[in-house]
Amino acid sequence: MQEKKSNQQLLSLAEVPAGRYYIVALEPGFICGRLRRLGVKVGDTVQVIKPGPGPIIFLKGNMRIGIGWGLACRILVKPVEENRENL
Amino acid sequence: MGTGVQDSGQAGGGKQGESLMEVVKVALAGSPNTGKSTVFNALTGSHQRIGNWPGVTVEKMEGSYEWEGVTYQVVDLPGTYDFCAHTLDEKIARDYLLKEKPDVVVVVLNSCNLETNLYLLILVLEMGLRVVVALNMFDKACEQGLKIDYKRLGSILKVIFVPTVATRLIGIEELKKSISLALNQPLPLPPVNYGEKVEGLLREVEESVKHFPLPYPTRQVALRLAENDEEMKEWLKQHDSSGRVKMLLESLKEIVQDPEKFFWEKRYGFSHGLVMECTSLESNRQARVDFTNRLDRILTHPWAGLVVFMFLLALVFEIVFQWSSPFQVFLAGVFNLMAHSVRFLLKSVGAPDWLISFFTDGFFNGVGSVVSFLPNIFLLFLFFAALEDSGYMARVAFITDPVMHRLGLHGRSAISMVLGFGCNVPAILSTRTLESTRDRYLTILINPFMSCSARLPVYLLFCGVFFPRYQGAIVVSLYLIGVIMAVLTARIFAWLCFKEESTPLIMELPPYNVPVLRNMLNSAWYRTFLFLRKAGTVILISMLVVWLLGWLPPGSEYASRHSFLGRFGAFLAPVLKPAGFGFWEAAVALTCGLVAKEAVIGVLGTLYGGAASLNQVLGTVFTPVSAYSFLLMTLLYLPCLATIAAIKQEAGAKWAAVSIIWSLLVGWSAATIFYQLASLM
Repeated sequence: MQEKKSNQQLLSLAEVPAGRYYIVALEPGFICGRLRRLGVKVGDTVQVIKPGPGPIIFLKGNMRIGIGWGLACRILVKPVEENRENL
Repeated sequence: MGTGVQDSGQAGGGKQGESLMEVVKVALAGSPNTGKSTVFNALTGSHQRIGNWPGVTVEKMEGSYEWEGVTYQVVDLPGTYDFCAHTLDEKIARDYLLKEKPDVVVVVLNSCNLETNLYLLILVLEMGLRVVVALNMFDKACEQGLKIDYKRLGSILKVIFVPTVATRLIGIEELKKSISLALNQPLPLPPVNYGEKVEGLLREVEESVKHFPLPYPTRQVALRLAENDEEMKEWLKQHDSSGRVKMLLESLKEIVQDPEKFFWEKRYGFSHGLVMECTSLESNRQARVDFTNRLDRILTHPWAGLVVFMFLLALVFEIVFQWSSPFQVFLAGVFNLMAHSVRFLLKSVGAPDWLISFFTDGFFNGVGSVVSFLPNIFLLFLFFAALEDSGYMARVAFITDPVMHRLGLHGRSAISMVLGFGCNVPAILSTRTLESTRDRYLTILINPFMSCSARLPVYLLFCGVFFPRYQGAIVVSLYLIGVIMAVLTARIFAWLCFKEESTPLIMELPPYNVPVLRNMLNSAWYRTFLFLRKAGTVILISMLVVWLLGWLPPGSEYASRHSFLGRFGAFLAPVLKPAGFGFWEAAVALTCGLVAKEAVIGVLGTLYGGAASLNQVLGTVFTPVSAYSFLLMTLLYLPCLATIAAIKQEAGAKWAAVSIIWSLLVGWSAATIFYQLASLM
C-alpha cells in the first residue's frame, strides 16, 4: 500500500498531519465493514483532529471516530485542496 | 404530526382495544451516544446508569409508565449501529425486535448526527414494526445552527418524529402521547426500494423460505440472507435441502456483485437524501466541536493522555479516601454504639447469652463493619459516573489502545478494567461490546484481578492498623499489583489459548459534556443500593452462618478454636501458613470472602468482637508483613460468587472454573512469595 503514495499524493490516514482529507480507498474486509457501520465510505471528507503516531481521531460530519494506528494505515486519503499548503 | 390530543382509550383500532387490557410493549432502540438511556430514564423515571461510551446498556433494562390509564412496559435495548449480529449487543437487540415484536419501537436519534442514525431507523422500519422517533439532543443541533424539518421527515417516512432534550425532560410528554397515537397507525412499509430486479429476487427468496421454520418474518429472512448474514447462512444450510434459495442468492450476487455493500449503499443513500431534503445548516456555530477538539488534543495525546489518565485515577481514589473517612468513622461509631446499647438493653431484661451474641456479634459487628464503608462506595461510583457522563471513559479506550494491543488486549478492555475498580460484575457485562470472542474472554478472565470497591474496606481497615502513615502508598500498590496480575494473566492466556491477534480499535468518541449531577447521583445511588442490598442479604446471611457455626456445638465457647467454625478454619489454616497467616480466623474470613469480599472484615469483626475492638485485636495477631500478605491474598485469591456467576453467564462454566483455579493459584503464590521474601529481609 505504501508504494501507491507520493506522486499521486495518496497517503495513509496514519501518516498525515491534522487537516481535511478525502477518503480515496479502503482496504476491503474488516475495516470497510466497521467504517461502514459508522457511515464512513470512499469519497467522504474527513477532518483529522488527532494525527498519529498512536491512534487517530477524525471527524466525519459531527461524528468523532477513534481508530487504531494499524487500521488507519489501510485507509488511503488525499488532502482537500484548501490545506494543501500545510502538507 | 403528533398534534391534537386524542384520548387513546377512545381510539377504535383493534390494537388499542387489546392494549387496554394488557400492557403495551415499547422498545427503545438507537445507536450509542444518542442519549437513549437518558430517554429511558426520562420515560420511566427508573434509576439506571447512563454513560457516554458505546454500549453502556448491557443489561436488559426494563421500566414502565402509565399514560391515560394504559401501562407501557419499556425495554431499553443495547445501543447498536446495525443489527447484523457482529456483536452480542446487536444480536440481543435484533432478536428482541424480531422475536418479541414490541407494539411500538421508539428509535432514538442524535439530532447532531442524523445521517448515520437514520440508517438504524430504516432497519427498524424494514422490520415492519410501528415506530416513533425521538429526535434527541435537539437543543445541541439548534446550537450548531442545524435546522431539522422533522415534520417533513415524518411525512416522508410516515412516522411521528418528536424533538426531545432528554437530559432536561423536554419533549417527553409529547413522546408518550405519540407512542399512544402510533398504536393506531398501520404498520409501516419498507422505506427503501432496492430496484425491480433485486426486489423480484427477494420476493422469490421469501416464497421459497416461507415453508421453513422461520426464525424471523419472511421479508427479514430474505434480506438477512441476501446480506450474507453469518447466522442466517448457518440456518439456511440446515433447511435448504433443494439448494433453491442458494441458487437465488447466487443470482443476486451476479446482479449486485457485493450484496452487503449494495444494501448498505441503498439505505445509506436514502438516509443521505433525507438529510439533504429535510435539514439545512443556518449558520456554522461549532463552539462545542472546537472545545472537544482542543480538549482531545491534550487528553488523547500519546503520552500526555496517559499521564492525565493516571493522574485522574489517582485523584479519584485520593478524594474517595479523604472525603469518606470522617463519614466512615462516624458510621462505625454508630454501629458500635448500637451494639453496646442493644447488649445493655437485652442484658437488663435478662435475655439469654446466645440472643445477645446474635444481635451484637452476628448482626451489628458483622454487618456494621461492612456497612460503615458505604460512603467510600458511594463516592467511588459517583466519580466513575462523572467520568462516563463526561465522555472521558471512551477516551480511556482510545489512549490505552496501543498499550493494550501490545499486551494482547483491546482498547475497550481498559474500560472494563477501570469499571472493575468499581465492581467486577458490571465490568464483566460491559465486555459485550467487544466483537471478538478472544478479546471478550481475555477481558473477562482478567477482570477479577481489578481491585473492586468491595476489597477497599479490607485494605483501609488493615492500613489503618498497620500502615497509618503509608495508607495511600499501600493501597495504590495493591491496585497496581492487581493490574499487573491482570496483564500477566492476559499474556499467559493469550499465549496458551488464543493464538490470534486482538481486533483493532475503531469506535465513536462522544463530544465532551459537563456531567449532569442528577444522572451521577442516580448512578451512584443505584450501585450503593446494590451494595446495601448485598449487605442486607448475602452478607448478613453469611455473617449469621458464621455466628451460628461459632456457637456450635452447644457448650463450646463462642468463636473459640473448639467451635465448628474454629475446627473448619483450623483444617484450612496449614495451607495458609506459608503465606504468614496460618490461623483459623483468617481462614474463615477468607472463605466467607467468597460470598462477598466485604465479608472478610465482617467475619473478622464477628470473630474479634466488633469494629471498634477489631483494630486492637488485629494488631496482635498480624505483623505488618503478614498483614500485607493477607491483603495480597484478599486482592487476588478468588472472585466473589456474583462475579463467578457473571463469568459463567458470559463465558461459560469452563472459564468460570478456570478463573477460580487460576485466581486461587495466583493469590496463594503471590502472598506466599511475598511473605517468605519479606521474612528473609
